[in-house]
Amino acid sequence: MLTTPEERATPAEIRKKSGERIAIRWQDGHESALGARYLRGLCPCAQCVSEVTGQRMVSEEHIAPEVSIEAARTVGNYALHFSFSDGHTTGIYSFDYLRRICPCPACSAAGHGLGA
Amino acid sequence: MTQTLITESKVLDALRSVMDPDLHRDIVSLNFIRNMKIDGESVSFDVNLTTPACPVKERLREQSRQAVIAAIPGVKDVRVNMTAEVRRPPAPETSRIKGVKNIIAVGSGKGGVGKSTVASNIAVSLAKSGAAVGLLDADIYGPSIPIMMASSGEPEVSNQIIQPVTAHGVKLMSMGYLSGEMPLIWRGPMAHKALQQSLLGVNWGELDYLIVDLPPGTGDVHLTLVQTVPVTGAVIVSTPQDVGLQISMKTLRMFQQTKVPVLGIVENMSTYVCPHCGGRDDIFGHGGARKAAETLGIPFLGEIPLDPAIRKHSDGGRPVVLAEPDSASARALSEMTGALAQQISIQAFRTIPLSIIEE
Repeated sequence: MLTTPEERATPAEIRKKSGERIAIRWQDGHESALGARYLRGLCPCAQCVSEVTGQRMVSEEHIAPEVSIEAARTVGNYALHFSFSDGHTTGIYSFDYLRRICPCPACSAAGHGLGA
Repeated sequence: MTQTLITESKVLDALRSVMDPDLHRDIVSLNFIRNMKIDGESVSFDVNLTTPACPVKERLREQSRQAVIAAIPGVKDVRVNMTAEVRRPPAPETSRIKGVKNIIAVGSGKGGVGKSTVASNIAVSLAKSGAAVGLLDADIYGPSIPIMMASSGEPEVSNQIIQPVTAHGVKLMSMGYLSGEMPLIWRGPMAHKALQQSLLGVNWGELDYLIVDLPPGTGDVHLTLVQTVPVTGAVIVSTPQDVGLQISMKTLRMFQQTKVPVLGIVENMSTYVCPHCGGRDDIFGHGGARKAAETLGIPFLGEIPLDPAIRKHSDGGRPVVLAEPDSASARALSEMTGALAQQISIQAFRTIPLSIIEE
């Protein structure tokens, strides 16, 4: 069944599995499991991605393996915000972005669309 | 002769044939029917709509009456009482303003298209129809709502909570109040703080609609708004001019990117009718916004004429829908507001609640 880009990037359900990961079921039925360290390493904020060059300054290998998500909340209608245990709180992860960074084998094979 | 007994379930069955034209469901399954009373051959009930500004109110009243009379023999008298209760779209309790059901952003691509005039007339029209309405002037560069609503008073502050000023039945807050006579020369973070305070630090009370008049274009204030509260939807005001429209498209895309549903486009400064000779002239062109709305699949809410009376009454502090309610311009503004209220109701039914389940 064909799905619209709108449905692909709109969550049907968001679960926070303790501090370890965020599980999102999208409106097209796809499911994404996003680990704390993975999310922290792909933070889209201006401290983690250079505003001038667009180059990623902080990535997963810079992050302690035990990092956890202390709090998660929705931002308006379009994004999630996380407070990580390393004190980092500046990233706003739009649903479009979260869908693009889905780490499941199928999405990874199709490429993350991050220009990387 | 045996008299058929009139029962509540028979009346409800009859009313199932009456459809809400916007929500595409019958008025019984939408739970609109309240307070049914059957007294011998007389039936009375309320039809509780989703907005007091509903443009098809009288049509639904008549359809309901006819449906009952046609389906149940023996009914002599049907009294239909039209009521309304604005529904609140589902959203996490933590991220919205307590008591405020719908937040509507009014934006434009560029300045000078009459966005604040349209916003103040929407607010007053909704209040006139019986809704509880607030109007937040978030145009930090040129806050004009206090002039258009003739409110010179400053809001009172008690316990860090701002008490909004009331004008023409609408609760008002302007970011202009935060600066007095001084122009606002703010950096982004200051605008961000001021808007958050104007949204969350104001005693809005119970509101059906909070209309937010945004600055022109796309910027800090827009982002703060969509990040601070769940916005039910946005209205885009444009002139018919191509260039005005193209810039408005950027505003439209901004709302789409932040997943704020675009409820429709209003074409302001449409046809000019000369007050001396009655001749018509399309000074800025005509119909451009309608065409753009059709291409993009976005509702077109209406055309507001370029009428000196609209400007005059706005400058005088009494929006034209109050000052000259029977004029063509006031009627165009009221009809546009009705179309908007319909879109808000549709949106409230369409929104899927989104919250994070903690495990």
